[in-house]
Amino acid sequence: MTATLKNILTGKNSRQGLWILPLIIVVIGFVSLSVSTEDFATSQNLSNLLKQAMPLIIVAIGQMIVILLGGMDLSVGSMISLTTALLAIDAPAVVTIPLVVVAAVMVGFINGFSVVRLNVHPIIATLSMQFIVLGVAKLIRPVAGGSVPEFLVQWVNGTIFGVSTVFLLTPIVILIGWKLIHGSRYGLHLFAIGGGAAEGQEDAAHNFGISDRRNIIVAYICSALFAALAGAFLAGRIASGDPNVGTIFALDSVTAVAIGGTQLSGGIGGLHGTLIGALLMALLSNGMNLANLSAFLQGSIKGGILLLVVALQSRKKMGL
Amino acid sequence: MNSLIKLTNISKSFGNNQAVDDVTLELNSGSVHALMGENGAGKSTLMKILAGVHQPDVGSISRAGEVVSLTSPKLALDFGISTVFQELSLLPNLTIAENMFLGREPKRSFGMIDTKLMESQTKAALAELGLTLNPSTLVSELTIAERQFVEIAHGIKADANIFILDEPTAALNAADVGMLNKHIRRMKDEGKAIVYISHRMDEIFDICDTVTVMKDGQHVATKSLSDMTPDSLIAMMVGRELEDLFPERSDAQGACLLEVKHFKLTSVSQPLSLKVHKGEIVALAGLEGQGQREIVRSLIGQHIPFGGTVRVKDHEISLPVAANNGIRQMSALGLGFVPEDRKDEGLFLNLPIADNITIGLHSTEGGLAPARKYREVIADTIKSMAIKTSSANASVASLSGGNQQKVLLGRYFASDVDLLVIEEPTRGVDIGAKAEIYKLLRQFTENGGGVLVLSRETIELIGLCDRILVIHDQTIVSEMVAADATEHNILDAALSSGSDATGSV
Repeated sequence: MTATLKNILTGKNSRQGLWILPLIIVVIGFVSLSVSTEDFATSQNLSNLLKQAMPLIIVAIGQMIVILLGGMDLSVGSMISLTTALLAIDAPAVVTIPLVVVAAVMVGFINGFSVVRLNVHPIIATLSMQFIVLGVAKLIRPVAGGSVPEFLVQWVNGTIFGVSTVFLLTPIVILIGWKLIHGSRYGLHLFAIGGGAAEGQEDAAHNFGISDRRNIIVAYICSALFAALAGAFLAGRIASGDPNVGTIFALDSVTAVAIGGTQLSGGIGGLHGTLIGALLMALLSNGMNLANLSAFLQGSIKGGILLLVVALQSRKKMGL
Repeated sequence: MNSLIKLTNISKSFGNNQAVDDVTLELNSGSVHALMGENGAGKSTLMKILAGVHQPDVGSISRAGEVVSLTSPKLALDFGISTVFQELSLLPNLTIAENMFLGREPKRSFGMIDTKLMESQTKAALAELGLTLNPSTLVSELTIAERQFVEIAHGIKADANIFILDEPTAALNAADVGMLNKHIRRMKDEGKAIVYISHRMDEIFDICDTVTVMKDGQHVATKSLSDMTPDSLIAMMVGRELEDLFPERSDAQGACLLEVKHFKLTSVSQPLSLKVHKGEIVALAGLEGQGQREIVRSLIGQHIPFGGTVRVKDHEISLPVAANNGIRQMSALGLGFVPEDRKDEGLFLNLPIADNITIGLHSTEGGLAPARKYREVIADTIKSMAIKTSSANASVASLSGGNQQKVLLGRYFASDVDLLVIEEPTRGVDIGAKAEIYKLLRQFTENGGGVLVLSRETIELIGLCDRILVIHDQTIVSEMVAADATEHNILDAALSSGSDATGSV
């Protein structure tokens, strides 16, 4: 039992990485904000906090799938923007929603194809995609505006049986993510492929008969689909299309995943870590807003926390 | 005995290198078949073809007269061929059970993996091998020996009937070797075919019944081991008398170049001391993982020992040396380090031969000093070391293993070092180049240099060196004069627990 505890505290001999440290920071932040700021621990603010965290949680789950493989998806931000732009075109929802899904599958497929078939480094492949998709989003909607389907707005901002829909939606998305990453053969294969990549043995998983190329392409498609879902959520919240709304998410999602203890080299990480990471980031901006901190300084503090948390997790936690 | 699988007229080349050349090999049920040959003889390539990792250029694999196609390791395993390679093939971030079932995980409802079933079956498979490991342990927590047993269990679980063991004992201690041999005998009794690759003569004669010798990618002979002696086997492997391979020793011995005193690798290891004189080649021998590699790396600051002192010529340095500039401090004193992994640690593979040779000279100059071309040095080195290349501007990656090693040695010869520390001087080098490298090293010592060598090849230890220091359990247990040493007494000393530390010369 003590061995297990030690493994959790150090992140050693565990496939989940070091997630206890960001959790401690979240708890400390939560408690100190509750004590210091009287507006913080209100149900109104906490509901806001979750609403703020929601899109990031969704994107980060998709991002995490790709990072577990040893990849990275920088096109998620543009995919979010494109989703809001597509949802705000002048067409009925039966047209726009399938359009979003098709676009996401295409973006994810091209990302994955570039990585496994054209041998482009994931950062370059998805960075290119970031520019390409952003261009298309701006072509469709040069400035913020338009209107998204009414039901989406009501859905995101409304309540079901008196409970804010966010509280119902969040568990569903997390359950889907958990199923993909920790509750399926696909998830285990993700870890296998990433573990091989992190060891410099790219063929290790392939040698076990895992179709690594197909799994990698599927991972990038999942990532784009999660980004589209986050985009739909944001579109509902701002009730319009905005080609710039997603930009920040490309790096914020990587940040949330990294804070949560997932190793960027692949093969190590846990969904709960990513959730903690996303929550920590939402808590930071919420708390700092309440404390009237300059938005510019907020960025610096975010960077500082990322550096601190990742520096404390030594890489190569798996021994070897 | 019936034939389980037959490889017919297999050839395979990588670029210009003909790794396997028209080899035919038949594996029989209930047989342990030794595959012998110098490093680079094509054994591993041949086995990788059987394991589905490589595809043969020419030739076929057949079972009971029927040609089979093994295009992936997975297909080979499904076909009943299980391989334990030297390098890691288990995934360290998965548990033992997950590794055992990877690619064919049992499912329960909602597409969930049936972890319980996996773990109970894994436990049973491990128990068959007499192992009591917890199936939910991550592979990264296992020792090398445990990983190899897990790989064998993986083969048993997959119902394989052909097992390829590629130097399985390289990382094992004597007790684990005994355990492994027990399992091999049992698998043999069950009618499985086992291919056993090893450089250890006693093991070969202990558990194998048939031997196939390969040399330079070609099949030399397949014989029953009962007709062979260790000496006749070595002669068959080397293909020439040992005397031709190694240069004459000289007995000129000069001042002490390197002295290690009161060296302790860890707080509990026995202290050791050693000396290397001018004109001398001294070897560290021993079984894998006894600390010899760490001892060598401690000298250059890549490993942190418990303590000790090193004297290079007149400079005394107390250990541990600083990790970040240990090697620079040593090279300033005229010590060159030639690592075992020359591709990753030694050479700049994509740079030209010329740059690889002169980088040693450049590194002695200031960072902003103009980089001299050293054209004559490069031309001299290529000529004197007989490096086979069309141009000094060809990338090192285009050279054969032997020529790469010569470039690496040439770097240190060119920068006038007088003490060389070499790990595995002829790893992956063909027999002709080996003889040349031995000659170059002997020339180096005759010109007043000293060499400390780490080698796994016993023939090399006996033939090349002047003195052999056998390491066991992180200390020197025996010192012998190489001219009088035999394969048998080196191994004997290496296996001993240090009680007869006086040596067996």
